[in-house]
Amino acid sequence: MRRALDWARRLFLLALLAFFLAPFLWLATTAYKPSSAIFSIPPRLTFTPTLDQFRNAFAVFDVPSLVESSLLIAGFSTLLSLVIGVPAGYALARSESRLAMAVAYGFMGVRMIPAVAALIPFYLMMRDLHLLGSWVGVVLINAVLNSAFVTWMMFSYFRGLPKELEEAALTDGCTPFGAFYKVALPAARSGIIASALFCTLFAWNDFLFPMFLTRLDSKPISVALLSAYGTKDITWGTLGALAHVSTIPIVLIVLWLNRYFVQGVARGVH
Amino acid sequence: MAAPAALYVLAFGVYPLLRGVGYSLYDYNLLAPRRTHFVGFGNYADLLGDPEMRRALLNTALFTVSAVTVELGLGFLIALALWRDDRFNRICLTLILIPVTITPLAVGLIFKGLLLADYGLVGYWLAQWGISPRGLFASTATALPTLVFVDVWEWTPLTALILLAGLKALPTDLLEAAAVDGATALRRLRQIVLPLMLPAILLALTLRTIDAFRVFDIVFVATAGGPGDATTTLMLLAVKDGLSFFDIGRASAIANAMLLCIAAIAAVYIVLIRGADRRANGR
Repeated sequence: MRRALDWARRLFLLALLAFFLAPFLWLATTAYKPSSAIFSIPPRLTFTPTLDQFRNAFAVFDVPSLVESSLLIAGFSTLLSLVIGVPAGYALARSESRLAMAVAYGFMGVRMIPAVAALIPFYLMMRDLHLLGSWVGVVLINAVLNSAFVTWMMFSYFRGLPKELEEAALTDGCTPFGAFYKVALPAARSGIIASALFCTLFAWNDFLFPMFLTRLDSKPISVALLSAYGTKDITWGTLGALAHVSTIPIVLIVLWLNRYFVQGVARGVH
Repeated sequence: MAAPAALYVLAFGVYPLLRGVGYSLYDYNLLAPRRTHFVGFGNYADLLGDPEMRRALLNTALFTVSAVTVELGLGFLIALALWRDDRFNRICLTLILIPVTITPLAVGLIFKGLLLADYGLVGYWLAQWGISPRGLFASTATALPTLVFVDVWEWTPLTALILLAGLKALPTDLLEAAAVDGATALRRLRQIVLPLMLPAILLALTLRTIDAFRVFDIVFVATAGGPGDATTTLMLLAVKDGLSFFDIGRASAIANAMLLCIAAIAAVYIVLIRGADRRANGR
């Protein structure tokens, strides 16, 4: 009975795995299909692999420039969010004030703003600051949502760490900033990695902000993915090829840092 | 040390939001900025009587309720199946999280491609067998349920992960004691697991409700709100009005209405989680 139940459980999980992975594998494999196989009627699963779709994608899109914009946006917004979010989370976690909890909740609330409510006025603000059409605006608005998220996440992380080490450092003549920088920060390493991972994932995958805030020469790969679909003579194969630069790297990074991802989600629970 | 973050969020987050509240009180269109004038709550009053807005509200509500229900139910089953910490489960958990990390835009495109009636891998057969002759996204009856399906595919792994974290935090001695005392599995689930997991369930419920309520990416690429207005959601309507038609006043009013709804959902969550905490501590 117990054995049978265990097998049923494994079969259930394998079926789910197939369900959750198949669409992703379809996207990844279209990149290696000749166009004739993509448009074949009836559709078939077998094909002779080719690199045509990659050649086509690189011919139509300036892939290095798209990747460069994506890296700039994800890199700078993550960095900015961590630089201001981590100390804020620490300060709120160690504060004795009753207000600290309310402020922390406030930061969490910022993350829940519907993007469009921030985007419309932000769009006009960037227009007035003459930052429209550059990736700088995307970094700035990404960092609003992400720094608020990092603050909340690190607040909950630091609250789970004992204060004693920092207090010992303080009595040894360390400045409060020294106690944070030399003692608390190294102890929170895995929380910081998890925060960075979530920020990068969010900034890399987002396309609503860059769609309206950037121009042709500063648009990231996520926006290009959309135009790959929108253009008539471009096929699903091109999309699959572009996904090799846009989607698959981030999936691999999360798989590699999976431990931190899982921890980060669990951290949100407590 | 919290000051830089607070100032930053105030300057680039809260300040624009307040400007947005201001815009929503004006008849303000970027295509005719000279005609801008104060209309008070006029934009909001217009929305109340607007059939497009009502449809968007209904679509968003239907989408949110059905997606979140399925995601929580299926997510809980997956969490139970993944509860035991062995090698097989660890590998499963890693791989099952892949949909969560895929660009949402790509998710919309994947399903659009698979479901195309002319040559899509799945859509072709659905058309051949007469289940969906024009493709699931192309028919008013099936477009919204199909988007729910896509959302379920994308986000169920995340709910499963949140619920799994809740399961793993349960006190094992309590469960073992109950098993020794002869409580059936169902009874243990109802009387120990579910009440103790309430915080995790509430968290998953709230996060998913708020995210489903603001759904945009997959709708934008898979159906763009169509056919007709069968899948137009609030967020889609606001983006279309504001950034394609440049009707800033109306779009800001929709965005603020969404903001109020989300604040209400968050408030309910905070009240419920306080209650759950109090009960857990009183035990």
